[in-house]
Amino acid sequence: MSERDRRLEEAITRLREPVDVDPALQERVMRAVRTTPAPRRWVRPVWAAAAWIRRPRTVRVSPLQGLAAAAVLAAVWVGVGVVRPGATPPGTPDLGVASAGNAVQFVIVAPDADAVALVGDFNDWRGDVTPMSRAEGNGVWSVTVPLEPGRYRYAFLVDGGLWVSDPSAPPAPDDEFERPGSVVTVGET
Amino acid sequence: MQSVRADSDAALVRRVLAGDAEAYAGLVARYQERLSRYAFRMLGNSADAEEAVQDAFVRGYRSLARCTDAERFGAWLFGIMVNRCRTLGGQRARRHGLVTEDDGAVQRASVAHPEERAALRDAIDRAVAQLKPEQREAFLLKHVEELSYDEMADLTGMSVSALKMRVARARERLQQLLEEDLGV
Repeated sequence: MSERDRRLEEAITRLREPVDVDPALQERVMRAVRTTPAPRRWVRPVWAAAAWIRRPRTVRVSPLQGLAAAAVLAAVWVGVGVVRPGATPPGTPDLGVASAGNAVQFVIVAPDADAVALVGDFNDWRGDVTPMSRAEGNGVWSVTVPLEPGRYRYAFLVDGGLWVSDPSAPPAPDDEFERPGSVVTVGET
Repeated sequence: MQSVRADSDAALVRRVLAGDAEAYAGLVARYQERLSRYAFRMLGNSADAEEAVQDAFVRGYRSLARCTDAERFGAWLFGIMVNRCRTLGGQRARRHGLVTEDDGAVQRASVAHPEERAALRDAIDRAVAQLKPEQREAFLLKHVEELSYDEMADLTGMSVSALKMRVARARERLQQLLEEDLGV
């Protein structure tokens, strides 16, 4: 374990220690509670409506009315079959860029780099988990990672400090991120 | 009088909702340490932390009927705590700038640990206080409260992907700050 990692572990241990709790806290809370209106169960209007719909009822239907209802249902069923002759059968796979469980190869050209790592959702953006290998005689770095179907954000970490997005992949939307990133989608087979 | 300590969260919640306000004391006793630790680590001083914890408990009581899964009262209450720290932290930051550590409120390192580690532990407190609030929040939820990323996403309303990024950045920043403070 490096010194940086050891210090981080120490920090986590430190932060997990309990802090002093004011012995009067509970009494203060309960004093406030006693002057607060009691919480009451409340029923959302939607739930009330759902309960009304689910409540069983006795319905009287004459034989003639029953036959008419059956005829209407049959007509609807036939109609549905007619209007959707070419519907996609259930279970049709979505298109994707890789198969389920497939190994996905990531490649970047960085001739001046001494070290490149792949960081992303799949390794919690940890720069020490997925180092990339440099091919002999050129600046091409690559690594192959098994990924389950899904959508992943990723980037390359060059020389431990420079974050680089993948120029050959769609950029990740930066709504919640402060660093460049790319997106890869791994589809079902 | 019935015992409030031995009851499950769900049983206590039911008693409170049935009109037994005193049963809430059992829930306060059960969660005050966890909430106090999180609030203190987030806000950096005991006065703000105590205010936030008390506020979270009272808000929890007032809206207890909205806790739809009484078995998970603790997680529900913790969500209120996270929001109170966000609100209070934002107000304090606008008024006073950076949060500061209140040395007197933490159980000091030198009491329970060897002397030689005191410097490191003081540096840790300073470094955590210097993290951006959103990074501190993500780091504490992940590594101190030990929540899963899915639980964190439920609490914060952020995507799992973004939370992973925040935690990673908080780790990096903490390591960097400790290195600056203590040397390589």
